[in-house]
Amino acid sequence: MSLRESDIKQGPVCTPGSLGNYLWNDLPDPNKWADCVHCGMCLESCPTYEQTGQEQHSPRGRVHLMKSVAEGKLEINEDFIDPIFACLDCRACTTACPADVDVGGLIEEVRGQIRQAIPLTGWKAFVSKFFLQGVFPHPTRLHALGNLLKLYQKSGLQKLARKTKLIHIMPQHLADMEAILPEISEPVRKKYKHVNVIKAKGETKHTVALLTGCVMDVMFSDINEATIRVLTRNGNDVVIPQNQTCCGALHVHAGDRETGRELAKQNIEAFQHVDRVIVNAAGCGCMLKEYPELFRNDPVWHEKAEEFSRKVEDISKYLYDTGYEIPKAQLNTRITYHDACHLAHGQGIRQEPRAILSSIPGVEMVYMPNADRCCGSAGIYNITHPEMAGAVLKSKMENVPEDVELISMGNPGCMLQMAMGVLKHGRNQKVVHTVQLLDWAYQKEEGKEDRT
Amino acid sequence: MRGKGIHTNDPHIQALARIVGGEKSILYKKEDLLAYDCDGFTVHRHLPKAVVFPKNTEEVAAIVKYCHEHDLPFLARGAGTGLSGGAIPLNGEVIISLVRMKRLISVDLENRRAVVEPGFVNLKLTNSISDRGYYYAPDPSSQYCCTIGGNVAENAGGAHCLKYGVTTNHILGLEVVLPNGEIVEIGENGIPDPPGYDLLGLLTGSEGTLGIVTKITVRILKNPEAKQTVLAYFDRVADASQAVSDIISAGMVPAALEMMDQTAIEAVEAAAFPVGHPKDIEALLLIEVDGISAGIAEQIEAILHICRQRNVREVKVAQNEQERARWWANRKTGFGAMGAISPDYLVQDGVIPRSKLPEVLQQIQQISQKYGLRIANIFHAGDGNLHPLVLFDAEKPGETEKALAAGSECLQACAAVGGSITGEHGVGIEKKEEMRFIFNDEEIIAQTNIRDVFNPKNLLNAGKLFPTPGRCVEVKKG
Repeated sequence: MSLRESDIKQGPVCTPGSLGNYLWNDLPDPNKWADCVHCGMCLESCPTYEQTGQEQHSPRGRVHLMKSVAEGKLEINEDFIDPIFACLDCRACTTACPADVDVGGLIEEVRGQIRQAIPLTGWKAFVSKFFLQGVFPHPTRLHALGNLLKLYQKSGLQKLARKTKLIHIMPQHLADMEAILPEISEPVRKKYKHVNVIKAKGETKHTVALLTGCVMDVMFSDINEATIRVLTRNGNDVVIPQNQTCCGALHVHAGDRETGRELAKQNIEAFQHVDRVIVNAAGCGCMLKEYPELFRNDPVWHEKAEEFSRKVEDISKYLYDTGYEIPKAQLNTRITYHDACHLAHGQGIRQEPRAILSSIPGVEMVYMPNADRCCGSAGIYNITHPEMAGAVLKSKMENVPEDVELISMGNPGCMLQMAMGVLKHGRNQKVVHTVQLLDWAYQKEEGKEDRT
Repeated sequence: MRGKGIHTNDPHIQALARIVGGEKSILYKKEDLLAYDCDGFTVHRHLPKAVVFPKNTEEVAAIVKYCHEHDLPFLARGAGTGLSGGAIPLNGEVIISLVRMKRLISVDLENRRAVVEPGFVNLKLTNSISDRGYYYAPDPSSQYCCTIGGNVAENAGGAHCLKYGVTTNHILGLEVVLPNGEIVEIGENGIPDPPGYDLLGLLTGSEGTLGIVTKITVRILKNPEAKQTVLAYFDRVADASQAVSDIISAGMVPAALEMMDQTAIEAVEAAAFPVGHPKDIEALLLIEVDGISAGIAEQIEAILHICRQRNVREVKVAQNEQERARWWANRKTGFGAMGAISPDYLVQDGVIPRSKLPEVLQQIQQISQKYGLRIANIFHAGDGNLHPLVLFDAEKPGETEKALAAGSECLQACAAVGGSITGEHGVGIEKKEEMRFIFNDEEIIAQTNIRDVFNPKNLLNAGKLFPTPGRCVEVKKG
């Protein structure tokens, strides 16, 4: 993609003014880079720096470049865009940084500027528009896509495609993706469309709402089912507001903050009558907790977003904090745990899922070195940057202990990526969600030994 | 990640790209080079001509040879965490980044040594051998990411150099590419005092002006049997300083003896690894003793006693490894933590006789008032290595200059009491003029003459370590 004069809209579109060569609405927050003193403590935490050794692909390098645009030393062009979009947005640098510099937040804000300055063109624009605006925000279309996938799997088409090697006409990384598609079943949002409240088993202690998510509900509705079972088993009434929508994380990561804001508003309203919003996808949970960032220039919505974000909690932390019943059945399995970036670095949740897993009788936890290192999934990064995502995944797989049966985690994107890692690197582990394992133990206790 | 091929007509870039094997191992566009315009010392910024990423010694030698033959200035860079500007391309150098040469080549436990490539990260060495009961002693605060190659260049110290010495005490051998591209090996496989001049000692701490290190043999140590850490809060900085003197004069050699003052405490408590230090104390001491188990408890008791005699408000011993790790993370991220209370900072690295601590700290306080800039102090009190951190805002006109002047005065104060201008961060660009506080012109010329033996064209990292020659040249003529 080459940059032509006509591609650049003449800014600024609207207030508040501009900042060096950032000319567009929703300017990046200069306070975020003011905290960076260039000490370099972030370098080793960064997966793209690990792979390239190049500082423009390191957190402090990126902060330096983003600041340089604000200082007018650099323009928004292809060579600036490359390092900014090559960031996995994994937030590991935020954990490493002594001064708490919010590199991830900055990257997202600057991507917002980039996408306004240089809108995508051609094939990339089509794909981005089709998925980010055409599919994810629309549950019926998303479900239709799920049905298509289901049809593909059930009709024998999948077998045929694999058998005839027709699958190889796809780019390799998409073919890899196809290979690890989980079995598609009915989304819970559809299933519980006419159910107001899914009642707790026994006495109701709390009422919570569940964010069903888009990828989660289409690809992994069994995890949503497991989440509902675990919640109701532990005294929670569960509601599934039907007007909820995609969290917007993928849009914000891609620089489409406007759609992000629209989706945020819809979710804030959809969940306004509940006190707790439970999320089982780390990427979504992190986004919901960060909604206030999207409304920095809108005091009214900022306040609503603040109020909303306080209600959001990840399933593992929620169970850990409110108490859950320790299952009585033995699972007898050796597992390891992978920290989803947006759970560990994004939300600071590390011990809770481990505590839950260790509490299941017969589960032996095996330590994974660098467990909080990104797996390369990073939303749709594995589709936009397959080469880097593959290299990051390879490093990740080298850290997965040999002698475990399961790899547990709390994010659907990671689950797909790690499943691909298992396949590509000739490993034999199964990938599971933390809450699934707890659910299995409960099921076994109840005499239903059904490992889906 | 990006389009293929080299898009420039510059024959030097094309030639260098051929040496390192193509576009993935060279940067030459302004957008990429900007990330290399400074290191951990951000006051001076210059764009390099290019950054190259060799994979092995031969490629380093070929790059150096090319630069030597074509009179291109060049320098080596590791993680770029240096605090004196040693890796800043003052003359538009070709930067030879060694971070892709990051292998741990071998570990020889029997003879207690390991061989690493220069881009190998300091802490990774300890992490790679700790399960076998060994570690690498030099522990600069940036050890999470700084490279051992960079440590050799700067002769890096760290919190534990009070007892274990600085980098030079742990280097057993080096493979070096000389500024003409020749590859030499120095050091005699760990012989304590090899015949001839101590070239290892000369190279270590030469700040990248004599050669480029491509392989390093280091000493590794057995983990101490026991370790205890004490945290002490003092209402008065004078009491804390006196406690430091008392501990040393009682004949103890703690592994580490660190001090932070009130402003420093404010920063670390506002940053990522707070401990919960009281905000109204003037100073805290972090003291660690290690060694064989027998005697540790007695040493701790003696230290607690000294602290109490010196009016300590509160003193406690770390109850477990997590608590100890927390205290150290809080201390070791102290410089970066300044970002939480100030947009920019400048760290100085003076050394003074321990007995002069209260006096010099008092002077630093006066310098702070004179310039209207806050100065935080985080330092290795045990060996009198001060780190005054001058806080400033580069966006405010004139403030950078004021900060530099204040920093320089701090060093002058150190030199005036018989101390030195650097303990472990190196001279680099930052303190080269301050070298005059320590050396007269003849002494400086004597040293640049040594440099000229190795680096006669002065293409390698020129303009660092010694003051600009102007005045020296005049002296020479005179």
